[in-house]
Amino acid sequence: MPLTFQHQQLANGLDVIAEANADAHSIAIGMFVNTGSRDEEPAINGVSHFLEHMMFKGSEKYTWQDVNRIFDEMGARYNAFTSQEMTAYYANVLPEFTQRATEHLAHLLRPAIRQEDFDTEKKVILEEIAMYLDDPGHRVYEQAMAEHFGEHPLSQSVLGAAQRIRELTRQQMQEYFARRYGPGNMAVVATGRVDFPAFVELVERYCGRWPRVDAPRRYPQPAYAPRRKSLSDPKLNRHYIMGFTPGPSAQDERRFAARVLSDVIGDSEGSRFYWALVDKAIAEDADFGFYPHDRCGSYYLSLTTDPDRAHEAMQIALSELEKVKSDLNDDEVERAKNKIASSIVLQGEIPLGRMRAIGGQWLYNREYRSLEQDMATLRAITPQSLRDLMREFPFEPMTIVELGPGKA
Amino acid sequence: MSERYFQHSYSNGLTLLGEKMPGMQSAAMTLLVPAGAASDPPEASGAGAVLSDLLFRGAGPRDSRQLTDYLDSLGLQRSSNVGVHHMRFSCAAVADKVVEALGAYADVVRRPHLPEDGFRAARELALAALAGLEDEPRQKVMVLLRERHFPWPLGRNTMGRKQELENLTLECCRAHFGRMFQPRGTILAVAGNIDFARLRDEVERHFGDWTGQEPAALELRPPPGRFHHEQHASEQTHIGLAYPSIEETHADYYAMRLAVEALGGGMSARLFTEIREKRALVYNVWAGYSSLKGYGSIMGYAGTSNDRAQATLDTFIVELHRLAEGIAADELERARIGLKASTIMQGESTSARAGAIAHDFFMRGRIRTLDEIKNAIDAVSLDQVNDYLRRNRPGEMTIVTVGPTPLRMGG
Repeated sequence: MPLTFQHQQLANGLDVIAEANADAHSIAIGMFVNTGSRDEEPAINGVSHFLEHMMFKGSEKYTWQDVNRIFDEMGARYNAFTSQEMTAYYANVLPEFTQRATEHLAHLLRPAIRQEDFDTEKKVILEEIAMYLDDPGHRVYEQAMAEHFGEHPLSQSVLGAAQRIRELTRQQMQEYFARRYGPGNMAVVATGRVDFPAFVELVERYCGRWPRVDAPRRYPQPAYAPRRKSLSDPKLNRHYIMGFTPGPSAQDERRFAARVLSDVIGDSEGSRFYWALVDKAIAEDADFGFYPHDRCGSYYLSLTTDPDRAHEAMQIALSELEKVKSDLNDDEVERAKNKIASSIVLQGEIPLGRMRAIGGQWLYNREYRSLEQDMATLRAITPQSLRDLMREFPFEPMTIVELGPGKA
Repeated sequence: MSERYFQHSYSNGLTLLGEKMPGMQSAAMTLLVPAGAASDPPEASGAGAVLSDLLFRGAGPRDSRQLTDYLDSLGLQRSSNVGVHHMRFSCAAVADKVVEALGAYADVVRRPHLPEDGFRAARELALAALAGLEDEPRQKVMVLLRERHFPWPLGRNTMGRKQELENLTLECCRAHFGRMFQPRGTILAVAGNIDFARLRDEVERHFGDWTGQEPAALELRPPPGRFHHEQHASEQTHIGLAYPSIEETHADYYAMRLAVEALGGGMSARLFTEIREKRALVYNVWAGYSSLKGYGSIMGYAGTSNDRAQATLDTFIVELHRLAEGIAADELERARIGLKASTIMQGESTSARAGAIAHDFFMRGRIRTLDEIKNAIDAVSLDQVNDYLRRNRPGEMTIVTVGPTPLRMGG
């Protein structure tokens, strides 16, 4: 399964990158834009995600019916996602549809944003916001991000608040689009069965005339503090806890070690949290994970428990975070590395999985990393790398937000 | 059989399936033991859910921690869960490691320790999961729908029932294990970078001397009722609906799948177009085919604001009935390429293929090759689809809502 990487920049500054896999049955094409909720002014919070929806509502040439119909005529697996720092549009198709899918994605990214469609889609966005309000895990996540990042733009929710969305205008969205979407702030990514020279020609044909945009991102220093917040909702049955604490950034070489360390501490099975909390049924979910951002990073802790045992579970989780600093052992590091190595192999076999990894990596670092490089970096990680990391990022200060039914 | 697909039956009733996938480094395993929630003891719903956790708390020569550490040291991406018909164990990793893990999985399904302290924790966790379901109305509505749509015990909540879990004993779990865990009807499927001859011998070594009595067939009872509303102070009203369809082995199966694809497949399919794109009633709406053995069904979901829930339900039902009037040629062609492309892309994932061949064997007693599926999809004509739809109008619907206000159903 030899994978080959190629990169070319078009005259307008658009990066085209590809990782070809001759054994793949499909091609995944993604348009990655370096923009998300952290790039929004508070008054337009939620616009990145709403705009992502509007892309599917048609260009000057196509109506929303055309957009969906053309994707479905290719049998494409297609969608889009928006995060705090990135918005991506993708289609996974059989190789014979490479030209059509590229052309169609290019159309998608030149949206008409018609007033009537804007008004209709606003209702769908409000439904999406309502749906997440029925998901306590998501509620506590949004609150914890907001508390942890405080005044920093990463505190802003991806969906935005319902009231902000109601007030948002088409003009504000147009203006945001014009200053964030374009060569210089995005990359076109292909993985799987791709012929690179032919692909570059296609991208040149359909995106070669897009005007370059200069879309700087602000990088203020987050002001971390050990913040606590308790929320209650009497209809809930379980208690949900989420904590955030600083970790390495998406640019930091130590991010690989941070992933290994996170699995040692809080993978869903066989980790320290698993044995201390889940195995004993003190918490039904106990995760510790790593969440790299652009020039900063976070570890997170997430617990779901009986309301009566929430305090106990939190104390155990915090004491495990202290303990691992002094008694980390070689075997657990090796096991975590083996699990990650498997996931790298499995991801490498699926074009859509590679597209996400490569596109994200490119936006953050303008860098390609092969599976072999990832594997070599992983192998070189030692228990000492993790100990060093814990001295640099000692799991404090930590912001903790809880959501439960409240005092009985 | 062929150079890609393999099958072997052992004398004890166990079936081994294999699919060799060129260019893959990984392999994935799916092990289906016919011990799903439908076969939980009548007054012990959730015995399977507890058992699926308890089985890993020590087996064969390893205690709980040794077993987990061993599976992790192989780097396995693994999961286990309880379905309606089966308890399912899956894992994926670099191919050699999956073969190496077979011995430990044989311990889990044949020689688990089923310890007392582990039992108490596993039962606590099952109760916690059930309590958590109350906080997630979007999941809960589908659980309630299955309970009301399928005959008992096929519609049982695979997570169990609170009262019965609270009364569950270790003795009951042990007896359930003794009754259900045996080779007859058990399916082990491995897909990816495999050497089938070696695999067959390894499976013989670990499972060849497994014996046991085939459990008695299930006795079915009719489901409790078609309409149900569950009061919940949720933001949205969550709507689930279901009606009977044909089985996977039916001659019209592919025509039906194409019709369902036109209804609820891509974003140009009818439900998404009418309910979300035109009317903006929902963010999330879907419908799909659900294949319980003997009880194929169409199931659907929509989540919407409370004041628009009635309009959403009414539109949903109108669309289901309108489908019976037939689909257009272009709708069929989009459905066809959609199903074909997803079939071909399934060939890129060892986990997806291991699951698919195991499922095929359970439903049909044989593996469908990817070419067979593609050809069958190609062979369906528009007349066949529309003829099928005319003959199979949506029958009695089961409708469940979770939300603050009941809706008019079936009016």
